[in-house]
Amino acid sequence: MGETSKALEIAELRPTLLRVARLQLRNETWAEDAVSETLLAAMEGLAAFDGRSQIRTWVIGILKHKIIDQFRRRSREVSIESQQELADGDALEDLFNNTGHRVTAPLEWGDPEATMSRGEFFAILQACIDQLPAPLGRIFLLREWLEFDTSEICKEMMVTSTNCFVMLYRARLRLRECLDTNWFAGEGAPHHG
Amino acid sequence: MARLFINCRQAHWLLSRQRDTPLRWYERLALRIHLRACDWCSIVERNFALLSRAARRLDR
Repeated sequence: MGETSKALEIAELRPTLLRVARLQLRNETWAEDAVSETLLAAMEGLAAFDGRSQIRTWVIGILKHKIIDQFRRRSREVSIESQQELADGDALEDLFNNTGHRVTAPLEWGDPEATMSRGEFFAILQACIDQLPAPLGRIFLLREWLEFDTSEICKEMMVTSTNCFVMLYRARLRLRECLDTNWFAGEGAPHHG
Repeated sequence: MARLFINCRQAHWLLSRQRDTPLRWYERLALRIHLRACDWCSIVERNFALLSRAARRLDR
């Protein structure tokens, strides 16, 4: 593949990169900045691309770094939002009764591979992440998508480790409830035998 | 002394935290004891595992 066709392939990735960046950063301007910087870095680094991975994988790897850069630049704003979010935990308390036991049964989600083989599942998961308060969405994706250590996340988001764990807990619980309601209890859910 | 018998709220908290940091021995023990008795929390444990796996594939 020549450099021109590689450059075209990179340019065609823009909508995908923008979707990923929006999901992570929840801010159109920040997402645009991260994607522009990614495309620029990819074009400039094209000669050094060794072809051992797919171009898409390579470019998304660059985007992850650019998203982290955006997090660093915006860390103060994220930290303030994080503090606000920590005060908002009431909705999850409805899951438990006054002795701390669950009020309703969670749904069994079945075979993971069968679930993840369905593209619509990821659209619902993405919509559920979008519905999270911004700091919870960010911290969940930093941990589970970018696979950061919690110590790195705490540093990036300027929160204590306890607050980090609380935010990840709230994000997971909210996403679990959202998927229960919108995927596994709905018509999109796989049928369990 | 650490409590070995925990409720679902505490179990959910430990199920999430164990995905981010190693639990202390007595937390692991309390969680195992709870999960043996509580089908609902065992389901949540599997749900959290699927959530992690799915999140890693979001950009595919």
